Amino acid sequence: MTEYEAIIGLETHIQLNTETKIFCACKADSWGDPANSNICPVCSGLPGVLPVLNRAVVEKAVLLAKAMHAEVQSDSYFDRKNYFYPDLPKGYQITQNDHPIALGGYMDLPLPDGGTRKVGITKLHMEEDAGKTKHEHGRRLVDFNRCGVPLIEMVTAPDLRSADEVAAYLIRLRQLLRWLDISEADMEKGHLRADANVSIRLKGETGLNEKTEIKNVNSIESLRTAVEKEIARQIREVEAGNAIEAWTLDWDEDTQSLSKMRSKETMADYRYFKEPDLLVVRLDEAWESAILADFPELPLARRERFVREYGLPEYDADILTSERSLSDYFESVNQAYGGDPKRVSNWLMNDVLRLLNEQGLEAKDLKVTPGYLAEIIKLVDANTINTPTGKALLEKVQQTGQPPKEIVEAEGLAQVSDTGLIREIAARIVAENPDSVEKFRGGKEGLMGWFVGQVMRESKGKADPNLAREVLEELLKG
Amino acid sequence: MSEEITRDLFNKLVDLAALELEEEEAEYIRRQLNDQLTAIAELAAVPLDEETAAAAHGVPYTADTRAPFREDNADPFERPEEILKGAPEVIDRYIIAPETPHEDLK
Amino acid sequence: MSAMELCDLSAYELAALIRKREISAVEALESTLERIELVDGRPGSLDAGEITAEDHAKVHAFITRTEETARAQAQAVDKSISEGVIPGPLAGVPYTVKDIFNVRGTRSTAGSRILSNYTAPYTATAVERMEKAGAVMLGKVNLDEFTHGSSSESSAYQPAPRNPWDTSKVPGGSSGGSTAAVAAGMGALSLGTDTGGSIRQPAAFCGVVGLKPTYGRVSRYGLIAFGSSLDCPGPVARNVRDAAMMLSVIAGPDRRDSTAVTIPVPDYTAEIEAGVKGMRIGLSPDFFKIQYFNHESGQMEEEPISDEIKQAVEQAADRLSEMGARVVENVPMPRTKYGIPTYFVISRVEVASNLHRFDGVKYGYRTPVPAEDLDELYRRTRAEGFGAQPKLRILMGMYVSAAQYSEQYYQRALRVRSLIRGDFERIYDPQGEYRLDALLTPATPTPAFGYGDVYGDTVLMQYADQFTVTGNHAGVPGLSLMGGLSKERLPLGIQLLGRDYDEATLLRIGRAFEVATEDAAWRKVRPQVLEGLS
Repeated sequence: MTEYEAIIGLETHIQLNTETKIFCACKADSWGDPANSNICPVCSGLPGVLPVLNRAVVEKAVLLAKAMHAEVQSDSYFDRKNYFYPDLPKGYQITQNDHPIALGGYMDLPLPDGGTRKVGITKLHMEEDAGKTKHEHGRRLVDFNRCGVPLIEMVTAPDLRSADEVAAYLIRLRQLLRWLDISEADMEKGHLRADANVSIRLKGETGLNEKTEIKNVNSIESLRTAVEKEIARQIREVEAGNAIEAWTLDWDEDTQSLSKMRSKETMADYRYFKEPDLLVVRLDEAWESAILADFPELPLARRERFVREYGLPEYDADILTSERSLSDYFESVNQAYGGDPKRVSNWLMNDVLRLLNEQGLEAKDLKVTPGYLAEIIKLVDANTINTPTGKALLEKVQQTGQPPKEIVEAEGLAQVSDTGLIREIAARIVAENPDSVEKFRGGKEGLMGWFVGQVMRESKGKADPNLAREVLEELLKG
Repeated sequence: MSEEITRDLFNKLVDLAALELEEEEAEYIRRQLNDQLTAIAELAAVPLDEETAAAAHGVPYTADTRAPFREDNADPFERPEEILKGAPEVIDRYIIAPETPHEDLK
Repeated sequence: MSAMELCDLSAYELAALIRKREISAVEALESTLERIELVDGRPGSLDAGEITAEDHAKVHAFITRTEETARAQAQAVDKSISEGVIPGPLAGVPYTVKDIFNVRGTRSTAGSRILSNYTAPYTATAVERMEKAGAVMLGKVNLDEFTHGSSSESSAYQPAPRNPWDTSKVPGGSSGGSTAAVAAGMGALSLGTDTGGSIRQPAAFCGVVGLKPTYGRVSRYGLIAFGSSLDCPGPVARNVRDAAMMLSVIAGPDRRDSTAVTIPVPDYTAEIEAGVKGMRIGLSPDFFKIQYFNHESGQMEEEPISDEIKQAVEQAADRLSEMGARVVENVPMPRTKYGIPTYFVISRVEVASNLHRFDGVKYGYRTPVPAEDLDELYRRTRAEGFGAQPKLRILMGMYVSAAQYSEQYYQRALRVRSLIRGDFERIYDPQGEYRLDALLTPATPTPAFGYGDVYGDTVLMQYADQFTVTGNHAGVPGLSLMGGLSKERLPLGIQLLGRDYDEATLLRIGRAFEVATEDAAWRKVRPQVLEGLS
């Protein structure tokens, strides 16, 4: 059987999470705003207006470039890309063409088999977004709210080899963008957009065949499905002796299918030229080092360190580094706790993550400070409270923001370790349940759990369950 | 008359510029373009050495004269309605344009 | 000679009288409105019908008059002064704005049908600064469509402006409405723009003072762009001091224009009377001939400039020399001849892109014919909305910036521009051979030409800017002022070109020349349209 491999490159547009647009002081984020309400003379392209570059856009671009191992350029320029379209009010897009902010770069993508795929970056530049248009009753409705929203266009080399790798790349990219706090990276909201260029070839071949471009996909899962389907279609076509044509394919989310948009025309002439309304973007050393002063340890490096330094399983390390504030949180708790990191990891992976998911929070927003969580774990370790109480305590601290010890004292949550009191309760339960006692003594030892449960209930959960078991065993067997 | 811009090329430019011209206007403009190109042709003969850089602006900008970048603070325009008022057709705050030309696909 | 009216006073005099409450801002305004009534004739409009003999005798500077807001502004100035608050250095001075600037709430047409129904929702920075200084806007004045011309004839709003010195002649362009208005007493000042000479050339034709500041000295925000790397807003005035006052008001950094420089703005009037003693002023043979393309021969040809203009420049050099300046002759400016070809490329590439936005979707004119699809809407709107000049320039820009021609034309032109800049750097270099403070040149090769004489020949028309355009390429400032009168009683314009951001020196030389020629016979002659006014 002939074996094929897929050759895939991604063209991504990343919406930066700046407060304002790239060239004017309108808010960058118009999510949910009425049409054409977040506009000004500049972004709606009125005659006579001029762009003024937002400093934060350059700074975020530099952070991304650094994270992608790209070479940041000390001088970069904006160009005009000229074409007519109703979502482009000036009739040109201000973008970077031949002197972009960064050159080269790559991302090391971990593969499930433990290997790494080095995904090259061929393009990384700043530009402005266009507006939105929609069709209705045979005409086009235009909304300029999105005009001038800052974007980074980032294009990969054709280095991805499967739909799964496409998804993995985007998940890693999304993680990185949030980690660096440069984009919300939400595909559903269009903060992260990805078009895929897909072609196939026989395994072992080195040339590139005709490719198709998949557009308008708005989730990672859908893009995985779309790429999978397109690879399968191309293989079918080639097997049937047909040629692949350079189509642009439109993804339909409802029917989960691709359809041909239009055959690719000859490259349009955009007549690029340097934007005379903007000056060179000069990044001197002082500015660049100020931007990079707090450059964080990146997720993959941190993941590796968690395994190495804390002896965590890969699985734990991966989850704990999925998001930057969670990983920071882990390290802070671990430091305050001073014990087994795996024990901290278990608390985070089970209880803290559930809390975060339920409340839609990030670790940095928790009222349970790392110090509080360390305290809770220590209380459990010291048998001051039992594990279920510890979990309940976590929720209470999150609700009230009060220190765990105060809650334990105020609500009398400490375990009852008084043998006398437990013996009294246990004796009463034994006396009141002669049938169960008889069954237990007749060999149904499984009933011990029930007896312990009764003691816990009578003590309102405060009894030390181990102690209760000891006393019960003495009473029942003796 | 110089014919650097032939009728064919001219028609392509007119198309690219999203214009359409009456025959007479087209002939006048094409003739003027070719006349201007004769004047422009002089540039081809200008001796340029490799050190002659392209000048995007006449006066060079320096660190002392360049305006600072804009700080990332929102200052929304207060009257977006005045912008919308200028549009030829608006429905429910949307600016209306005709449909883009499209070919039907199977 | 007719009596001087308030509207004939300079901005400096008016501001002083109003400040001292010897006259009111309303009186100054009413005198100016009366003058407009007498000499301007009907304002330019899209459906002018036949241009009559009566039209031929009028100036037609305006497209839009704003008497009502002007009256309110003038009253506010008077009220403020009566309360002891001077609103600004130009308080109560009437002025006009070239209709290429956005002024909130007024029609801002750019002289084009495509913006005939566009009411600006914001105000240009330079206009905002004039307002803040207390100046009173009379209205928006006519120009070549999108500033594309050197005669003001190409406006879609007819009748187009005529030269107040002889209404059979053009006022020059593209700021022809501005210079004609100032020359005829319709506002002491006007805000113009200069991309290749559009302030200095019409100032020369109309016998007024026009200043193109250094690129970046005055914000372009709100100026409907032509050649973005060349456009400069600047003052048109009746004398040098007024131009200096106005520049002090409009110049300076602007957070809305990245190309506006951060250099502090001096008071340009402070040193204006300091004279020219010890200054080095150059004369260049390259500014005493013009090179132009001759259709008949199909060749570039060289011709000397008008004798009268040459003499005016030489006489100006003599006057300045008498006042203590050192005149340096034979200063080579060999790249002057590349000015127009380079301009044909750079300005066209920029304008083709700048005019992309006029498409009938967001604002302005939209074809009344229902369009089948978007492309048709674009084509029809632009075909009906633009006149021949913008169309021509768009097409040229499209051609010379197309991927396959850009290297040969556009990139090359940008490099030639460096050479042109080099000519200026050499003559101003303080360590160099010439060490000039300014270069004295003719402003134009000829005095004002006849209405219709050049219009239509776009190459010849462009060569009217030969002596001004290199200043735009190099970015340096240029001051155009009247240096005499021709036998035909037409103004002869001279020009001073200066160092980067050194407008102050040009103004000082210009003022010295005014002082030196105070008693010259030609200074007493007034424009023809003002003769016989009671």
